[in-house]
Amino acid sequence: GGDTGGGDSFPAGCDAGSINFPPHYYQRRDDLRQSVMEAIQEMMSELEDLHKNINEQATQHIHAGEIILTYALSKTVGLFLKAAAAKKRKFQVIVCEGAPHFGGHAMAKELAEAGIDTTVIHDAATFAIMARVNKVLLPAHAVLANGGLIAPSGSNMVALAAKQNSVPVVTVAGMFKLCPMYPHEGQDTLNDLISPSAVVDYGLIGDPVLSEVEFVNPVHDYIKPELIDLYVTNIGGFQPSYIYRLLAEYYHGDDWEAFE
Amino acid sequence: MKPQEGERERDQDEQQQEEREEEQQYEQALHPVIADLCYHLSRTPSLASSSRNEGDAAQDHRPSSDAGADADAKNAAPRSKRPGLPLPVAAIRVLLDVIRRSRAETMMGLQADLRDASDVMIAFAKRGGPVPIAATTSAAPSTKYLLANRSHIALSSSCELFLNHVTRSSSHLETATPHFQSQLLERGTRFVEFSLSSRDRISSVASPFVREGTTVLTHGRSKVVEAVLLRAARVEKKRFNVIVLEGRPDAGGAKTAKAYDEAGIPTAVVLDAAMGYVMEKVKVDMVLVGAEGVVENGGVVNKMGTFALGVLAKELGVPFYVAAESYKFTRLYPLNNADLPEMGKLDGGGLAFLDTLSWSVNSSSGSKGGQGKEEKKTEAGEDGSLNACADLSSYVVNLSPSVSVGNPPCDFTPAKYITLLFTDLGVLTPSAVSDELIRLYQ
Repeated sequence: GGDTGGGDSFPAGCDAGSINFPPHYYQRRDDLRQSVMEAIQEMMSELEDLHKNINEQATQHIHAGEIILTYALSKTVGLFLKAAAAKKRKFQVIVCEGAPHFGGHAMAKELAEAGIDTTVIHDAATFAIMARVNKVLLPAHAVLANGGLIAPSGSNMVALAAKQNSVPVVTVAGMFKLCPMYPHEGQDTLNDLISPSAVVDYGLIGDPVLSEVEFVNPVHDYIKPELIDLYVTNIGGFQPSYIYRLLAEYYHGDDWEAFE
Repeated sequence: MKPQEGERERDQDEQQQEEREEEQQYEQALHPVIADLCYHLSRTPSLASSSRNEGDAAQDHRPSSDAGADADAKNAAPRSKRPGLPLPVAAIRVLLDVIRRSRAETMMGLQADLRDASDVMIAFAKRGGPVPIAATTSAAPSTKYLLANRSHIALSSSCELFLNHVTRSSSHLETATPHFQSQLLERGTRFVEFSLSSRDRISSVASPFVREGTTVLTHGRSKVVEAVLLRAARVEKKRFNVIVLEGRPDAGGAKTAKAYDEAGIPTAVVLDAAMGYVMEKVKVDMVLVGAEGVVENGGVVNKMGTFALGVLAKELGVPFYVAAESYKFTRLYPLNNADLPEMGKLDGGGLAFLDTLSWSVNSSSGSKGGQGKEEKKTEAGEDGSLNACADLSSYVVNLSPSVSVGNPPCDFTPAKYITLLFTDLGVLTPSAVSDELIRLYQ
């Protein structure tokens, strides 16, 4: 009985009788709508205040005279760096251009307009430059349950170079990116291969030699938790080994199966 | 069909007769708690529920490694070949019996009874599970080690958990009522059922990690690991390869290889010492082992060789996964291998690895593993197989007593070598283990 407004939640063609919900799902609750609206409101305000809360920590992590390396284009990282600059910290930023999309170009322009000393390098120069870098800032597409990171393709290379040179890797991400999944598929977790037209000219595909070659253009990289030193989020800074604790606060155990 | 049925019935009768005789032998020589434990260890859950424990709930789960066998085959097979209850679950069954038999009228009294029983069982396990049997072939009775090559950690942690469970339940119950025993029994039985079904839960969280076309390396004989890999092969229909380390001195690995082969998984058996070579040569994609115990910092105690495997996997960048039930979580905190408690110590002949290799690995290509002869014991080893080989002398090395021969059954793998743990509480990172432990023991 009760409210049937939630009938749309069943996928079309799904037999409602085959799903067994616990008994309290069928009880009448007078405050149901109110509670759900409050929860949604809470989520919305968390999202609205996201960058404000993240940027409050900017000066804790970015210090005067530091050289910070970042990869390609990210709104969160850009705002983070600009917040530190706004508090009169003097630092340098090196941006990897992030082929084949070259988001790094737009990022560098943004940062330069905010008055930050910015340099663009091509991706292959990352390892060579790493010895001079104090900190790496990476964006996040998703944060996995084991503390691993899904980030734009090319970030794994940056993280590996940083590990080799003992440079701390800090990821700036909102908590909504936390995902109760484990990287079952390794590099293919939450990943896609998109059109290689950005990698190779479409007209060259007909070439007899090139037609034997496979061109891959993955969107994301999976970075192991051992390569990340800190997650800076809107609720504070956490180590990758602590991420599993946050999952319990954001996801109900019943919802985990949806991710498998 | 009829002659077969008749045979099966006769087998069953003989089997029951054997069982009764052995029970009597056990009961004469052993503490009643130990007799109970031996009984439960050797029985399959369905048999146990029908004959002994009328009070138990009838719905027992079979361990999922029996998934391939049907009920008839189980009843007809010789007892020594059929896997019984896992040791910790058998121990909890014993404790349930203790509750049934207990004449204590207070919670304290009952807890004292339970604690005594679990102390007896743990001491028994620490000595390797010596069970005196009147041998039929020789004049003097000898000792069979039921729990050789096992650690007592899982046993003591599951007893501890059960005792805790009883203590916790009791705070909700009125001790003086006549119903309190049956309420305790009901909760205890649910605890047993939860534990028995943990293998199924573990295999469902773990099998997605076994990917199509990968190679899995495993060590030792773990029913949980078998459940995971067999589920990935049979239920999820994935195609992957398994490499098994032979697992001296009890040939644990070689025995699991049979199970995988029967499921149609391409299996290879290699020497324990070949773990590094094969990891590089065959490009192993993941290592999956079971555990005797999981300690507070997320490290595991498992068959000797697991530590080396863990260090190796870390060095070569291969993920190292451990599959273990939650009743194996124990409140130990070893810092390294020197901190491990003494376990499975066997007096004298037990399973000294030089002379009791009573199995040989034979494949159709004719390659043979090492063969040995049992010099001290006339009855068969654990598996009941005694291989006589024409030319044994070149394989048997007789050392003088001044050479000490050590064979501890288990070693400790620290948490930093472990990538993830698959448990019935879900997939855990090693750092999450201590949280779960606190929750379990609260």
